[in-house]
Amino acid sequence: MTQIQQPTTTGPGIERPAPSVRQLTFQWAGGPAIPVLSVVIALIIGAIFVLFSGNDPVAAYAALVQGAFGTPYDITETIVSAIPLVLTGLAVAIAFRTGLFNIGAQGQLLVGALAAGWAGSQFAELPGLVLMPIVILFGIGGGAVYGGIVGLLKAVRGVNEVITTIMLNYTIVFVMHWLLQAGPMTAKNAFGTPASTPIGAGARLPVIIPNELVLFSRLHAGVVLAAIAVVVFWFILWRTPLGYRLRAVGLGARAAAQAGIDPAHHMVLVMAIAGGFAGLGGMIEVSGVFGRVYDGFSSSYGFDAIAVALLGKNSPLGIVFAALLFGAFVHGGAYMQSHAGISSNLVAIIQAFVLFVIAAEALVRSLTRRRGRKPVEAIA
Amino acid sequence: MKRILAFSLLAATIVASCASPGTTGSSPSGSAPTGQHPKIGLVTDVGGLNDKSFNSLADKGRKDAQAQLEVDTSVTESKQQADYVPNLTKYAQDKYDLVIGVGFLMQNAVWKVAKQFPTVKFAIIDGAPQDDGGKTENLPNVANLFFKEQEAGYLVGVIAATMAKEKTGAATHNTVCSMGGLPIPPVDRYIAGYQDAVKTVSPTTKILNGYSQDFVDQQKGIEVGKSHIGQGCDILFQVAGGSGLGYIQAAKTAGVYAIGVDADQADVAPGTVITSALKKVDVAVFQTIRSVRLSTFKSGDNLFTVANDAVGFGKLDKIVPKTASDAANQALADIKSGKITPKDTVQVK
Repeated sequence: MTQIQQPTTTGPGIERPAPSVRQLTFQWAGGPAIPVLSVVIALIIGAIFVLFSGNDPVAAYAALVQGAFGTPYDITETIVSAIPLVLTGLAVAIAFRTGLFNIGAQGQLLVGALAAGWAGSQFAELPGLVLMPIVILFGIGGGAVYGGIVGLLKAVRGVNEVITTIMLNYTIVFVMHWLLQAGPMTAKNAFGTPASTPIGAGARLPVIIPNELVLFSRLHAGVVLAAIAVVVFWFILWRTPLGYRLRAVGLGARAAAQAGIDPAHHMVLVMAIAGGFAGLGGMIEVSGVFGRVYDGFSSSYGFDAIAVALLGKNSPLGIVFAALLFGAFVHGGAYMQSHAGISSNLVAIIQAFVLFVIAAEALVRSLTRRRGRKPVEAIA
Repeated sequence: MKRILAFSLLAATIVASCASPGTTGSSPSGSAPTGQHPKIGLVTDVGGLNDKSFNSLADKGRKDAQAQLEVDTSVTESKQQADYVPNLTKYAQDKYDLVIGVGFLMQNAVWKVAKQFPTVKFAIIDGAPQDDGGKTENLPNVANLFFKEQEAGYLVGVIAATMAKEKTGAATHNTVCSMGGLPIPPVDRYIAGYQDAVKTVSPTTKILNGYSQDFVDQQKGIEVGKSHIGQGCDILFQVAGGSGLGYIQAAKTAGVYAIGVDADQADVAPGTVITSALKKVDVAVFQTIRSVRLSTFKSGDNLFTVANDAVGFGKLDKIVPKTASDAANQALADIKSGKITPKDTVQVK
């Protein structure tokens, strides 16, 4: 059993050498132990619930797995469900790395979706080569602005980002009601189905799996954008001076300030970057799945993202795996309900316990650490 | 060492938890399709199975069919809008005979999936297949289940008008009102029938109508309700979903009467809700499943009316006088026989 690597508290100002490939593999080998264990424990607790409800847990989980991965079509659908979770997961994780708790990925995703949907229908007649970059930029930009507001309030007025992100989540939900139910973006012929006017053909992300390979697959080019985003996340954090400074602020804002890194500046920056990731996620949903913005099309991506980031230990690969797991829960859960007759709410129970176990692990670790050492003054 | 111990304990637990159900032989829940009966799949919209409205009623229709007809049924809840297409597709891929989508939110999803699976039958409640541009396109394998809401509106309108005319209980101002969510056809058909009945039964009764511009926000319903009550309304008919619950709330606070919609809402505010205009989604689902069983399935618009007992009025509160309930039952018979045809356009905006 390898020891789990603790983040080494390097002194401020000392640049850590970029980790070699061997080091990274070692980290990943040591890293997943706790998340995997927490998923297993959550599954066991879920099984108990299934037993209590008078059903067969083995049948339930078999249906869950079969629903998520049983056919090539299901595998592509699981990936489709995972894509927005990857993006919002990155949005939560990069803020975590800088010591901020971004509950607002949900709102940032919606703003990105609205901005992309607006641009996509406004300039609908432009060719794809021109329109697609515009739509992507609007998605990222919309999310970045919405996230940036949070960073700015934190940096300038010291407002807790948890409060502002939660409040802004609500704000955008109601702005969205207005825009899509009886406002400037409402589609005229979709009265009754609150939605925006459809985006132009050039703004649609194409399906990348041909029908001959997997019939009716919806797997769209957004998966490529998500992969690029994961690489960008890794590159920013571990391959740029900016990333180093962000992580320094995350490990200790005061220490970072002593070393000449302005925490306030970096908080604004990281929230804008986080918002950009989430906004891109919203854009991908609009361009790849719906082709327009539906009112309230997403209710939980931003919140599941917190679990995804925690489960993925805020690391790029971890987030991808966690998002795929949650995507499998979403897509497989429906099949479990229809074929094993078990409420798909079981999936929500399992997800909750995954979070619970991870949180408990963090709690235990911080308690044991505190017993050994003098308490370190935390910076909120 | 501790770690290894913990792991082996855990492994033991896993093995135990996996093994026990097998030995006790607990049976999987009965809704998994077996045999060669027609297979029916129901997909809810984001409201979920416990919405006490369309989705739960549709599921009741499914369960009734499961119990009374020789069919195998199952249900899938949609958690978010992105789930509609995969949930419908899954049933179609599994060669179900009929896939039912609940509610107009699924119009585009049903269009997409039904086009891809022309041999599978689909039904959509309160809607019709809608292409990506938002245009309705009838498909040869899709039944659009619509209701004559104006008939249900007419029946509760008869009750309201009779009470206003006779000044029953708190209804002293000879004024009745209604509130819709948005002025969309299914909402306006309810209101049109309601107004038609009031004008016919009690021409002197004043009629007011308004819209909350929302189907969710209760507060907006409360505001419209207060305004209506301020103008003398003492019977309030809501056609606005969650927002309408606020309209009922306003009636309850002021001590006047309300009329529920779609499902029987007598339990929402006993003593305030005198009756409800019913859209019996369960009956529509049951009859559509039966049409597949009997090979009488009909694509395109299927109208559900008082004639096939799919619309009507709900439980009557004890304040409702016998004259009013008699009048409503008479109207029900007259609509059935074709003597009365309730209007479907709103007269008092």
